[in-house]
Amino acid sequence: MTLLPRRGLKASLISLVMVATACSSGGGQSAAPLPGCNSGTTQVLFWTSHTPPDTDSMKHTVDAFNKQSTTACVKMVAVPGSETDIAKLTTAVRGGTGPDVYELDRFTVAERAAAGVLTDLTPFGAANESANYLDFAWQEALFKGKPYALPFDTDARALFYNKDLMQAAGVDPNALDISKGAPTIDTVRTIANKLNKKDSSGKYTTVGFVPAISQGWHYTWGFAYGGSFFNASSCKVTPDDPKIVQAFKDMFWDWSSSLGVDQLQTFISTYAPTTPPLPTEQDAFLTGHIGMVITGPWVLSWFPQYQPNLHYGITYIPVPHQGDQSATWAGGWSVVIPKGAKNAKGGYEFMKYFAGEPGQRVYTKETQHMPTWKTLLTDSTLYQGDLKIFVQLLPTAHSRPALPVGSLYWDQLSTAQDAAIRHSKDPAAALKDAATATNDKLQQYCPLAS
Amino acid sequence: MIAAPRLGRFRLSPEDRRNLRTALPFIAPWIIGFLAFTVYPIVYSLYLSFTHYTGFGDATAAGFDNYQHMVKDPLFWQSLSNTLYYAALAVPIGLVVAIALALMMNQNVREVAIYRAAFYLPSIIPLFALTFIFIVLLNPGFGLVDFLLERVGLPAVNWLGDARWTRISVVLLAQLGAGGPALIFLAALRAVPTELYESALLDGAGPLRRFYKITLPLITPVILFDLIYGTILGIQIFTPAYVLTGGTSGGGAYTAGPENSLLFFVYYLYKNAFQYSDMGYASALAWILFVISVLLALAIMRWSRYWVHYEAS
Repeated sequence: MTLLPRRGLKASLISLVMVATACSSGGGQSAAPLPGCNSGTTQVLFWTSHTPPDTDSMKHTVDAFNKQSTTACVKMVAVPGSETDIAKLTTAVRGGTGPDVYELDRFTVAERAAAGVLTDLTPFGAANESANYLDFAWQEALFKGKPYALPFDTDARALFYNKDLMQAAGVDPNALDISKGAPTIDTVRTIANKLNKKDSSGKYTTVGFVPAISQGWHYTWGFAYGGSFFNASSCKVTPDDPKIVQAFKDMFWDWSSSLGVDQLQTFISTYAPTTPPLPTEQDAFLTGHIGMVITGPWVLSWFPQYQPNLHYGITYIPVPHQGDQSATWAGGWSVVIPKGAKNAKGGYEFMKYFAGEPGQRVYTKETQHMPTWKTLLTDSTLYQGDLKIFVQLLPTAHSRPALPVGSLYWDQLSTAQDAAIRHSKDPAAALKDAATATNDKLQQYCPLAS
Repeated sequence: MIAAPRLGRFRLSPEDRRNLRTALPFIAPWIIGFLAFTVYPIVYSLYLSFTHYTGFGDATAAGFDNYQHMVKDPLFWQSLSNTLYYAALAVPIGLVVAIALALMMNQNVREVAIYRAAFYLPSIIPLFALTFIFIVLLNPGFGLVDFLLERVGLPAVNWLGDARWTRISVVLLAQLGAGGPALIFLAALRAVPTELYESALLDGAGPLRRFYKITLPLITPVILFDLIYGTILGIQIFTPAYVLTGGTSGGGAYTAGPENSLLFFVYYLYKNAFQYSDMGYASALAWILFVISVLLALAIMRWSRYWVHYEAS
């Protein structure tokens, strides 16, 4: 029999202690309440990937909640992530160090629920909340008919135009006044062409309108042309719908042709890059490098802060033909409880407050996003100035199909859009590829019971 | 005559065994760490590559589904070709830049320490920060690089907005990290015996001839090391593409650079794992990358027989 020599025994004990110490550090949450919390409360960890000014407003809601709650104490932490990238969340949840509440883009709720990242909120009585929320937002919070999220804010898209640039180019800004209804795409094109400007080397310094900049997404123009992105009965995505193909051809392919494919790309890389985007104060619309842009109500809070003297107007998203009904779409965020949450009960209590009337009221007032809480939509004191336009757009707004492959679909549509703008692939072929790739992954979830 | 050590059988004397028993517990933390954090994930990822798995719940057996899907997945092929294109440029260019830097660092001048620090400095800046600086330098409207190009009469290039140039931009960016390999080359240069140069000088060899006939052959083992190391790192390129394409910032492009030209293999793997919750497919991709790495390393090793000179032989 061989026994471990004494020296070895000591060494192995030391090693074990070292490993144990290394493994134990960092785990566990402090039980002491945070400043501003009531004693006897349990901590709720809340993660968001948002940045200021949105997070400044969220902090106000968190503080207000902590002040009044006798059971939960919320600690808000800003983490890396985006609409479709939740790497930080998934790795943390797998490692057992995930948060109790996470802010998730609502159109990916079904996808994350299907992947098993989220907790079903039925046991908390979330289904009873459905009547409080706008229907489209509530539908996005469901997967297989069960609630996995409480909807938070929403938005809509419209055409913003720079009156100063138009006047300087001899165009009457009243041509786009919202009282005249939705402008046609031809009208916008004619005005845009008058605003284009180049420097001595032939590079654009101002472009009247680029359909793809900011919120001029595939969905935006697909809806504007009356296209349908998903067929529920066949459980297939339909980006190759002829109306969407036409939208891609007109708004991405042909628009690039008229401005010059490479010249347009140089302009975008200089003034409106997406890789990565410029800071808000250098936004191309705020700095007068683009005359018109499709964007959302959050921009309204930028003007007083960064460009208080800019004269701008807002109107409906342009329509293909005179008299067509203008279309827009609404997105927004939600709050969820990830799997393995240590304080799910406290988390849900906070979610009801944050995504409920009090939280959404503060967020609407401070950030110019719109609420999904129905009764707040009729509270006229919340909507100053131009935000009212967006509130009026909401009842007819489309929403993206809530699919278990939502972010893959978004990426595939973006790839097709990019190809159309750069003329690297014909829109019909590019959208067909997007359909094939997405349906391939979607089939494993079909049929999608809702 | 000294007997050659017997390599055929590995025999431990009682003392060796005692020493081993004493040593093992000391290195146990490393062994445990290696088994838990390296060996286990490798084996587990092989298993996962034959399943459908979101990262949560149970993995369901999928046979060769993931590997079959790869064959008809256009983004798999695009990411592979992007990566090989990048490595084919970045590795040889990196080698030349590193040797050139090492030669400069090896000059017999008084301020050489300052030069060494200056050349090495960019390679210790985090790649994340370096990439952000690069974005500003490469802006086609007000970036320094295009400004200089236009000054000398060359056309401006849309470095990050034109699919033909994006990968070349990343190759250029990678050169800022050449200080690390240059340091290894510097050590190799210092190890070349000076008497060889002296006798070559007496025979009337010029600086170029001395470099090609003495320096280069004697540093070939280090060149081989750098080639293999650079290739393995090169095909794992991720960070610059992630940062350049907006990575985690909301409102990013959602394509990996123009026409997905920066969709490198590991970036596509990352997207599958963490954006599309497809850990099975991501694991399969990882194994294919591993196989490609091994094949490339073996090919370079075999090729090296023709040009690497070892001093001993």
